[in-house]
Amino acid sequence: MPVIKVNNREVHIQELNKGAAETVLLIHGMFSNLSVYYFNIAPILAKHFHVVMYDLKSHGMSERTLHGYDLNSMTDDLHALMQVLNLETAHLAGYSFGGLIALKMTLRFPDKIKKLIVIEAPDPKDEKARGIIDDYSREFLEHYVENFTDTTKVKMGKRQMERNHRMYEYLFYQTSIKTDMAAEKDFLNDPQILLINTDTLLLYGMDSNCLETGKWLNEKIKSSELLLVPGNHNIPIQEPALIGDMMNMFFMN
Amino acid sequence: MDTVASTTKMNRDEIFELMKKFITEVIGEEFVEEMDITPESSFTKDLEMDSIEIVSFSEKIKAHFGNQIDFTGWLSSMDLDQLINLNLGMIINYIHECR
Repeated sequence: MPVIKVNNREVHIQELNKGAAETVLLIHGMFSNLSVYYFNIAPILAKHFHVVMYDLKSHGMSERTLHGYDLNSMTDDLHALMQVLNLETAHLAGYSFGGLIALKMTLRFPDKIKKLIVIEAPDPKDEKARGIIDDYSREFLEHYVENFTDTTKVKMGKRQMERNHRMYEYLFYQTSIKTDMAAEKDFLNDPQILLINTDTLLLYGMDSNCLETGKWLNEKIKSSELLLVPGNHNIPIQEPALIGDMMNMFFMN
Repeated sequence: MDTVASTTKMNRDEIFELMKKFITEVIGEEFVEEMDITPESSFTKDLEMDSIEIVSFSEKIKAHFGNQIDFTGWLSSMDLDQLINLNLGMIINYIHECR
């Protein structure tokens, strides 16, 4: 299992087609992990690109970390990962909260990012979309996994529920994730977003409750195109082949 | 660390034993002891493996068999329902046919 050290912390990464000339970096969403790309989307992209997936801190198989869930820290992590992997530039894509990290990365390091894809990024003002509520409970977890995670089609068994319960308890009660995320609530009003001139593809589900955010970003980012995909917030799980093909086409042209 | 296996062709029983070893390494012996793992066991329903555990399992297969099989390519041809219903026997057959 490829686990590498980035800024002295263990980060789980997966790479495909290492020899390719150009790299695509993929960022997953909150409370998820790199498997959202691993089975379908990454292999499609790997036909033409070197693909790098990584687990965000405390997610998947990356090391647990108490602090640094704000977008500055998350993009510092990604920048450091690019340095460790010797990536001067890369195409970048992020899903859900990962889409916000991808946007922030493009704002902070525009020379590093060739093209940008934002999939279903939510407006962090919306608490529900941020996945943050004031009181975590087992009932909340059961509701959350039913409605918002990439495991919606699988009924969770006892061992899985326990594993997830432990992860949520850790993230909610021991780390700074709640306060860090709350501090980002005005991120989309950052006037710098108007200045993005990186070619940007916005992918949103036709029935997604985040679609308004996609339309709003499309208005703000001049060099952006908004494409709709059948489905809701879970489009990478619902339409992986379609999403993979759309991403491939955008990065190749 | 797993190494790329020799070219000796494994039979289905040997592949099954190897798969059980990988599953045990991924989810831990204490959980495997409570399970009756058979070729009919499905990954998500019976073995209760989540997606990141199936990633670990896939990586073990890739590390063991190397270029002899395109396991990720094979998985990527499946839709979500097929992945959810994937059972051990299907993987054993796939590996057996590739080698």
